[in-house]
Amino acid sequence: MSPVIEVQNLTKRYHDTVAVDDVSFTIQEDTIYGLLGRNGAGKTTIMSILTAQNFATSGEVRVFGENPYENAHVLSQMCFVRESQKYPDDALPKHAFETARLFFPNWDQEFAERLIADFQLPLKTRIKKLSRGQLSAVGVIIGLAARARITFFDEPYLGLDAVARQIFYDRLLEDYTEHPRTVILSSHLIDEVSNLIERVLVIDRGKIIMDEATDAVRDRAATIVGDTTAVEAFVADREVLHRESLGRVSSVTVLGTLTAAERASLAAKGLDVGPVSLQQLIVRVTQHAAEAADAAATAAPIDEGALR
Amino acid sequence: MSRTVNVVRMQLVNRQTYIWVPLLVLAGSLVITLAIYAILITAGVDGPKYGGGAQAPLWYFGVVGIQALTLTFPFSQAMSVTRREFYFGTVLTATLTSAIMGLAFVIGGLIEQATDGWGINGYFFYLPWVWEAGPLGAGFVFFVLALLFFVGGFWGATIYKRFGNLWLTVVLVGLTLLLAGLAWLITQTQSWGGVAEWFVAQGALGLALWTLALIAVLALISWRTLRRAVP
Repeated sequence: MSPVIEVQNLTKRYHDTVAVDDVSFTIQEDTIYGLLGRNGAGKTTIMSILTAQNFATSGEVRVFGENPYENAHVLSQMCFVRESQKYPDDALPKHAFETARLFFPNWDQEFAERLIADFQLPLKTRIKKLSRGQLSAVGVIIGLAARARITFFDEPYLGLDAVARQIFYDRLLEDYTEHPRTVILSSHLIDEVSNLIERVLVIDRGKIIMDEATDAVRDRAATIVGDTTAVEAFVADREVLHRESLGRVSSVTVLGTLTAAERASLAAKGLDVGPVSLQQLIVRVTQHAAEAADAAATAAPIDEGALR
Repeated sequence: MSRTVNVVRMQLVNRQTYIWVPLLVLAGSLVITLAIYAILITAGVDGPKYGGGAQAPLWYFGVVGIQALTLTFPFSQAMSVTRREFYFGTVLTATLTSAIMGLAFVIGGLIEQATDGWGINGYFFYLPWVWEAGPLGAGFVFFVLALLFFVGGFWGATIYKRFGNLWLTVVLVGLTLLLAGLAWLITQTQSWGGVAEWFVAQGALGLALWTLALIAVLALISWRTLRRAVP
């Protein structure tokens, strides 16, 4: 597999805040990525720079080996519909789809019509009068039916109910199987999309703190459940991500892959190994990174003082 | 090239904005003007009557110019359109629709000429000063005026989008101060008479040509500003 997007030392600064801080990564072809992170972590900024909607302060972005800025050849193979996408005044959903059909070479009208029916989108209501969920559906339909080689979904589910979200996940996966392409999905609902995404990119305070295959991420931790004393003995010399106890039963999530021997010893002690929720793991890792950053930030002046 | 033409289709996808609403504004303004003329006649006014109601759709063109940027530009970015394609497609759309507006004015003026001002000696389109250079000249003047309003709106909106409200205000206040300064200078040098003479000498057609130069400057500034604008 070859990279379709290469990012090197990308930085975006707004006045005195750094939205994206010296980030480097690559996006491989025909893979579904989860771009995860907290609000304001820099997800939208990265996606809008990759699609040349926004501009980097410094660093380099290559898409299909080329600079995407003002590059119709590259841009026409990408689709990025924002979470807060604006549409022309008085436009109807059908106008938006007719326009998308003009600009996306792989647009599939039949697929679009099926999605319109799936999402029960009213075609004759002005876009500005649509509900938040219906507005999101317009963006989702454009993103899916455009069938661009690289598609960005920026929190596409805003206002969508659980049924509509499931339709989105199902259609995305079905169509992806038939027409492999690169999808970058930014989401807060990590557990909901965890079965969808093949690779995880976690961004925190403008920095990439995780870039791994989803399975590898899951293997990075394990939840040990059982009698508190036995669990505590087992986790004593491990990094604990999360601890919960109820009476004499504890459930402790620890960092590190379990070896076969360890699994056997756990079984012998009557302890269970439970699955780790991707969301929980990423929340912990993000918090860890934040604490480390805070510690570094508070430690720095002290060091400076010591030097004086 | 075909993507630039598709931008025209994108701008016109909702024909209501560019074609029907301006024509409706024009028709409404015409009806109101004729009603006022009718009142004047019953009040005993006999001479030829001229009105400025024909400018109403031009203001609407200013609004369309603003929306072409504030709303359609972000949408064009989602459609993976380059800024260059968006800009040239939009300018093409403005030229096309301004030409339609100019044509509507000429047709209206010709009707007024043929019917002696709707039979009541009242003129809405046919303003003698504008029609000095014939129907073609008048059509050109109206076309340039419509284009000026569109490009003016578009120009203001690009500055707003790129630099924000504060800078747009600074630029507009600066321009007003500049014009006031110019007026002061003309007064100081007691050359208002000369200025008026110059305007009269240019005629409507000459002024339209100067306006075209102003449009070119505004369009160029819009282009430079749009190059780095973020939706």
